[in-house]
Amino acid sequence: MYHGTAGHAPVGVLLCPPLGQALLRTHRVYRQLAHGLATRGIGALRFDYRGTGDSAGDSLALDWQHCLADIRSAAAELRVRSGCATVVGFGAQLGGSLALAAASAAGFARLILWDPVLDGARHVAELDAWQEALRTDPLHYAKPRTVEEAAGQWLGFPVGAQWRAQLAGWRAEPARVPTLILDSRPEPAAGGWSPLVEAGAQVCAMSTSTHWGDLHRLEHAILAPDLLRVVGEALERAA
Amino acid sequence: MMAERAFRFGRARHLVGMVGLPPAAPGAVGVIVLNTGLMHRVGPFRLHVDLTRRLNALGYPTLRFDLSTMGDSGASAEAGSREEQIRADVHDAAALLAGQAGCTRFVLVGLCRGAQSAHVACSEAGVAGAIFLDGYIYRTFGFKLRHYLPRLLSPARWRGFLARKLRAALAPEEEVSFGSVYPPRAQVRGELAGMLARGLRLYFVYSGGIGEQLNHPRQFRECYGRGVADHPALRMDLLDGTDHTYTLLCDRERLFGHIESWLQEQFPAAPKTAPAG
Repeated sequence: MYHGTAGHAPVGVLLCPPLGQALLRTHRVYRQLAHGLATRGIGALRFDYRGTGDSAGDSLALDWQHCLADIRSAAAELRVRSGCATVVGFGAQLGGSLALAAASAAGFARLILWDPVLDGARHVAELDAWQEALRTDPLHYAKPRTVEEAAGQWLGFPVGAQWRAQLAGWRAEPARVPTLILDSRPEPAAGGWSPLVEAGAQVCAMSTSTHWGDLHRLEHAILAPDLLRVVGEALERAA
Repeated sequence: MMAERAFRFGRARHLVGMVGLPPAAPGAVGVIVLNTGLMHRVGPFRLHVDLTRRLNALGYPTLRFDLSTMGDSGASAEAGSREEQIRADVHDAAALLAGQAGCTRFVLVGLCRGAQSAHVACSEAGVAGAIFLDGYIYRTFGFKLRHYLPRLLSPARWRGFLARKLRAALAPEEEVSFGSVYPPRAQVRGELAGMLARGLRLYFVYSGGIGEQLNHPRQFRECYGRGVADHPALRMDLLDGTDHTYTLLCDRERLFGHIESWLQEQFPAAPKTAPAG
């Protein structure tokens, strides 16, 4: 969905969504961000990767390479729609990871990554732990569910063997473009923002914490009241 | 192959939705899926996407869309109550699906707040049925007996109760609650009776995730009386053990199976027939 400006937009922002329930939880804040950017004269494009959201494909068919290809296609679409010469990649959580991985191929001039996942193996372990906690969570189930009933899923979404292996193999490498990390984690994660910070990435602490994996907020929208201000200011500084 | 297409539609072109068409000739009954809570039309864990695609495969045209001001939809700029907006939005949705698939009758589907929206919109012309997922249900005397009696005798329950009270006192809930207020039970009972009298077919599916509100299938009759609960055009199922949004795949499969069976029984997806004469 393209959020256009009145005329030619010199800069466009591609909003790469996160995956799983985070995609649904961030829908509203992505829409608000895209709308806010458009009112500042910046074209913004939102989209769903194949197998996610409204896009074609089954959730089980989620594939890392397909997601990267979809980012490249979406970036090309944004250039056509907005006429912009400069495209900034934005992504939250795994959307940030994918924007980072696709930065070169999509031709991003800058990256803004909101709590990106930098260590896939650690994230897979977290997702497994969250799924196990869900299975036995008394606020979800009066009686714990069996291991078999909860197998092959992460918080409501099916997980194929290929996707699991692809995600576990993800290790972030710094992009060759200016990178801003928006940090809203409630607690610092092990490893911090390495290796991006060592390569010069800037870190901006957000005013509100985001609980990405909280079992009791799976249906809660993620709110980030200062997101538009922070992203807008970052783009103005870069201009 | 099924076809899905995004539309911007409505009286102010402010609504956004996805029409799904069956691979073969679409049937005369279309299914319209309403927002769950404040979540956009995709639904929790993509539930609305999976459900509508499965119904397309069975021959039902579908529309999942965002009501005014929700998801990707904007405001219509009309004055009016939320209930009036919902009715007008569903009217627009039905017109879109009629235009795209030729449907003449519609079944509304909604989970939680979506079930409440469906309840409101059942008065719209063309609505022939509704599937209420965790729709209105009220605590009854029977509920309280079943709920509190075992707890009174359980030390573990007392410990849990006191721990919750203590936790709430020490760390009050910071988040804004968007919980909805139920209308009086007599009003809902009367409205359901009215729907049944108009010939609507209604299906209530309750999850195990609303155990604080419903704890036995019998409660439906306790709540709405025999005139509604035992009406031949109404069915109620309790999917015990599931959570409110069917997070596990096996629970969603169970839900989809129930919905598909009821739809095929009540509204067989036979292709439209040409008018006689």
